[in-house]
Amino acid sequence: MKSTTLLGACFVVSLVSVAMANETEGLRPLTTELRSIIASRCLDCHGADSAEGNVRLDNLEAITLPAQLDLLNRVYDQLFFNLMPPGNDPQSRDQEHSLLSQWIRQELLRLNASKFDDKLRYPGNGNLVDHELLFSGRVQDKAYSPARRWLVSPQIFHQRVIDVFEMDERDRKLYSHSKKKFYGVTNPFLLPERSGVRYFDLDSLDGGHLLVLLDNAKWIAEKQIHAARVKNQELKPGEFVNGKDRWAPNTTPRQFEEIILGDNVPTDTSINAAIEAQFRLVLGRQPSPDEFASYLSLTRDAIEVGGTTNGLRQMLIAVLLESEFYYRQEFGAGKPDVHGRFMLSPREASYAIAYAIGDRGPDEQLKLAAEQGRLNTRQDFRREVTRLLNDDTYFRGQIDPALNGSHYQSNETSHPRLVRFFREFFGYPLALRVFKDSSRSEGRYANPKRGTLGTPGWLVVEADRIVTRHVENDRDVFENLLTFDEFYVYHDKDNATGRKVIDQWRSVYERLKNTPWQTSPEEVLEANLEFLKSVPAMQIKDTSRPGELVNFMHYFEESFGQGRTPFTTVPWAHGYTFHHAPFYNLPPTPRINRYGSWRSTKYIADLEPVTFWDYPTDQPFPIDHRKGILTHPAWLIAHSSNFHTDPIRRGRWIREKLLAGRVPDVPITVDAQLPDDAHRTLRQRVDSVTTDSQCWKCHRQMNPLGYPFEIYDDFGRFRKEEPLESPEHLLQSGNGKTSFNVYETGPIDARGELSGTNDPALDGEVSDALEMIDRLAQSQQVRQSIIRHAFRFFMGRNEMLSDSQTLIDADQAYVQSGGSFKAVVLSLLTSDSFLYRKSHL
Amino acid sequence: MTSRRDFLRNSIYSASAAALMNPANLLAGPDKPPKRFIFMHRGNGLWPKVLVPPSFDKTRMAKESQKKPYEVDLDGHDLPDWMSPLAQHVNHLTILQGLSGKMCTTGHHSWCSSLGVFKANERVSSIKWATVDFELAKLFPSPVEHIELACFPLEGGNSRGALDGIATGFSARGMHQPNYAFGSPRVALTELFKSVSADASAQDRYQLDRMLLKFAAVNEQERSVGLAEPERSKITNYRDAIEAVQSRNRKIDGMAERIRQHVPKLDPKYLDANVSTLDRQLGHTEILLASLISGLTNVVAFTVDELGHAYTGIPGIEGEKVNMHDVGHNKAIGGLSATEIRKRCRQHHMSLIERIVTRLKSVPEGNGSMFDNTMLFYFPDSGETHHSHGTEYPFIVLAGDNCQLDLGRRYIRLPKYGEAGHKTLGNWYTTILNAYGNPVEHYGSLDVGLSHLDQKGPIKPFLT
Repeated sequence: MKSTTLLGACFVVSLVSVAMANETEGLRPLTTELRSIIASRCLDCHGADSAEGNVRLDNLEAITLPAQLDLLNRVYDQLFFNLMPPGNDPQSRDQEHSLLSQWIRQELLRLNASKFDDKLRYPGNGNLVDHELLFSGRVQDKAYSPARRWLVSPQIFHQRVIDVFEMDERDRKLYSHSKKKFYGVTNPFLLPERSGVRYFDLDSLDGGHLLVLLDNAKWIAEKQIHAARVKNQELKPGEFVNGKDRWAPNTTPRQFEEIILGDNVPTDTSINAAIEAQFRLVLGRQPSPDEFASYLSLTRDAIEVGGTTNGLRQMLIAVLLESEFYYRQEFGAGKPDVHGRFMLSPREASYAIAYAIGDRGPDEQLKLAAEQGRLNTRQDFRREVTRLLNDDTYFRGQIDPALNGSHYQSNETSHPRLVRFFREFFGYPLALRVFKDSSRSEGRYANPKRGTLGTPGWLVVEADRIVTRHVENDRDVFENLLTFDEFYVYHDKDNATGRKVIDQWRSVYERLKNTPWQTSPEEVLEANLEFLKSVPAMQIKDTSRPGELVNFMHYFEESFGQGRTPFTTVPWAHGYTFHHAPFYNLPPTPRINRYGSWRSTKYIADLEPVTFWDYPTDQPFPIDHRKGILTHPAWLIAHSSNFHTDPIRRGRWIREKLLAGRVPDVPITVDAQLPDDAHRTLRQRVDSVTTDSQCWKCHRQMNPLGYPFEIYDDFGRFRKEEPLESPEHLLQSGNGKTSFNVYETGPIDARGELSGTNDPALDGEVSDALEMIDRLAQSQQVRQSIIRHAFRFFMGRNEMLSDSQTLIDADQAYVQSGGSFKAVVLSLLTSDSFLYRKSHL
Repeated sequence: MTSRRDFLRNSIYSASAAALMNPANLLAGPDKPPKRFIFMHRGNGLWPKVLVPPSFDKTRMAKESQKKPYEVDLDGHDLPDWMSPLAQHVNHLTILQGLSGKMCTTGHHSWCSSLGVFKANERVSSIKWATVDFELAKLFPSPVEHIELACFPLEGGNSRGALDGIATGFSARGMHQPNYAFGSPRVALTELFKSVSADASAQDRYQLDRMLLKFAAVNEQERSVGLAEPERSKITNYRDAIEAVQSRNRKIDGMAERIRQHVPKLDPKYLDANVSTLDRQLGHTEILLASLISGLTNVVAFTVDELGHAYTGIPGIEGEKVNMHDVGHNKAIGGLSATEIRKRCRQHHMSLIERIVTRLKSVPEGNGSMFDNTMLFYFPDSGETHHSHGTEYPFIVLAGDNCQLDLGRRYIRLPKYGEAGHKTLGNWYTTILNAYGNPVEHYGSLDVGLSHLDQKGPIKPFLT
């Protein structure tokens, strides 16, 4: 298996080398054997005369140390990815290749200059650790996570601010489930927008954060004492510093209020009580004696300069500026075990568990367990994690409140963070970031704009729903997500409600279809008013809107009247934005202009017939030519460009996310541009610039996995032909609004090749994405690759070889539980990787 | 009790922005004047064709349409309508066309690309080095080093910040170090000029803030003891940031009297949270001027707008909230064509530039004015159009008499992309840096599509 020997040996080497780091200032002399390898394998192309790619190895020992280190780092990358010598079979490495690689890495580590090892910590590089070795069971090292501070996520930060204000569950929900934000708090902890795990433990607070945090802290402290200041008549009731910012908690914590309302200079006792209260609210712990002393001194000095209220406020701000408020602390405590590892302290463990499963801090039971010494063993962890995974309410919330708008809300689930793993892993929310030229979709695609997230917003919400369904079912989760054949589309009413609406509408249609509703709607309405009032789905209360009856009956005539079921929301409903069915290759639903305003009783008789969607009230429902999340329009759009599909990106996604592979970054010398060519399909254009032997070294890892998705266009629509979008192939010109360009087409070639599953029964040629997905879903490599990403998500870091047992256990937990993701989470959160910490040195 | 509103009212008066500043106070510092740079960039692309003076003859127009290189003295030529506010400054005006920036991220959003000349994205890790404005700030140090002002987009794309807050900007202080920008005149005024507030209560607050930072710095210093990397840097970065703010405050204290003379006097409407875009731009311009004139900084980056910004206050459609992405896609709004909306926005930008140049010309410095030592660049952050490819980055440059580049009063079209003699953003910034004392061989990434050309180095004819 690729690189097994290499990284396995290097792991041992690295331990030795770290201890030796900096002992020697220069590169050690090359052995005769290494000289011979370089001479025979490298110098033909990288000698004094040739120096291809400006790389020379003949004078390695003559150049300066920095130049040596730079050169060796470059060479190591080439060897690691088996890009050198050219033409190497990627699946095999000979002994000379391994010897040279080992020596280079050893030297770089010894001199503390290995860029490769530095890279291992960063997102996107987790797959550099050898997959086969990780799951082989041969690694005996005990797992741990480095002792660390871990910057809070945007969600945790938001919840911590809520905690400071001691909001009750109602207000917490208001601030958690909607777009409601604290006016004066800017969340400085944005996560990068990328497909894959986004929240790692690598970031640190810096100067940029500080300005924001200072502003935030001042606002929070002011709000904390607002009620007391009103009581003290420093502010009038209803008076706010900023008229736009009229929110404040109803009460100020008692300890703060006593200081503000006190007539005299506050005593040490009252100041200490306030310090203790603010530590509890902000940091969730008692201050140490040293902290009491220093904060008391600060408060006293501040009171002297600015008076009692200002002095108190400065103390509150100072606690809010403690880096501990912004970092999760995981250092371990107590005595180290025989492997030098410290178990998380009970308090640390309570936060680690809570933040792994949700965004809130520990619930009361978990806090109690920590305080009462019942969070000290693996069994304790198992008990608490199991309890919280079975708790339907504590972490309940929306998947992504940022999706909420006037037309839809992100769906709710008991453990949003578990669903968030999959939405980040698959990366389909990135569809919101890809702008499209709407006219290319016959005007149907609506880009996100003010007040709406447009078509991709709907698609992401619908993808979230189907993902949530399978996560909640918790059976064969990975396989189901990859192969589900039922989708939610529109579905703005649950199945029972939808059926009821349709039944009621049908009864109206049957009763009125033979009346003169087209010509005399007023009379029909009046004659049938009592009946119509008895049909809740019609929402008719009187005879004031005969035009709406015309619209309804027209709508019914074009659905029931033609043997189809209409969508359960009428197109003239206020804020109607359902236009995205065609991106699933489903027929459209009518637009409002087909029927006109309900204010008009005119029946528009001369419309061009359109076959509208036969709406399935019971959802999810099957859709042809789709299989799983990778064929969902949200995923396909997220992994496309503004103007066309992106087989390279899609292929890379499959290689890295599902097959645990790694594709080198685009070399700096490559101009990654597709040529314009009016006569060729996109696949042909990609081929023309990637099949050169130098390019193919990397592109063979991607293109054959991405081409099968060419059965979908960049809007996610299934297709057999690709329009050749250039003036030379224009068949019919449109105005881009009501008529659209029509081009000649070229045939789709979606053949590809699956490689890297390490299963001969699965690897091989595929005819299209549907066949490839079927095989991927059966692959052990794919299952384990998802487990690796779950590890990163819940641990906040890339896996190390020492995490091998943790990964094996999680994989087995999944298999033995019948594909339960909760079983994976439980396994990870009771693993040594989660329980133990070890210092870096 | 003094509220924040009172504090603002007392400290900056209620004079209209149009009242400007008291000319008696407009005297720059006595020392050898520094050089100053203003980078004013905007979103949605800047069409090269709109910068062409309409009085050019057919020969020039033909060259223009073929993108052939040529150069014209602007004397005697009409500026395009929308540039009319600059008419009185034409002697200091250069219109520079033909620079490319395909090594930048182009299209809708560019993040730090157009200032840093590399492919940037929303990830901090994509920031390769300090942007050119920060490189210049290093050459001409000042207490605040660099100030960035922005009309932030509301969502997506480039930095997303509260319009009335502080958030990631378009400049970068160094590798992996995004800068932070002030989103509104209010927050910029509060942060930058708080040290010299006339209000006693505000002064107490300032002293309390100083005390707080000192406390926090000591506190975090203690937490970093005994830690090893990389954990140590998670604390020391924070501690260093606190200390940097303290150090900056000390420098500002040392020049309090001068700063006090130049506190911008803004009408309350510019400080309102719901200030219109055009007024926000004007308020930012006043902050920019006050910051330069008081000596707080010598370099300002000003995101005058961005593709994702919802524009308000556009003349003729003041009540509309204009989505600039729609404008980029040629959508008419409020009865105005997208082209006309673009024009009105540009014209407003020119009036801001006119305000800056006129004001700086009125501030005596050395034997001339502060403008003599100033360069202002107006350019698009993403190239030639809404869905840009980076083949053109038009620049409007206003440079004072002591400018160390040979530019003045010219329309310059450089050789077309890909042809011999073609120049890139990297060449342009290298020219500026070389001229002002940074001998860098080449600033910015190279364009892999131009490997047949010698891309490195300055644009030599511009170096005096």
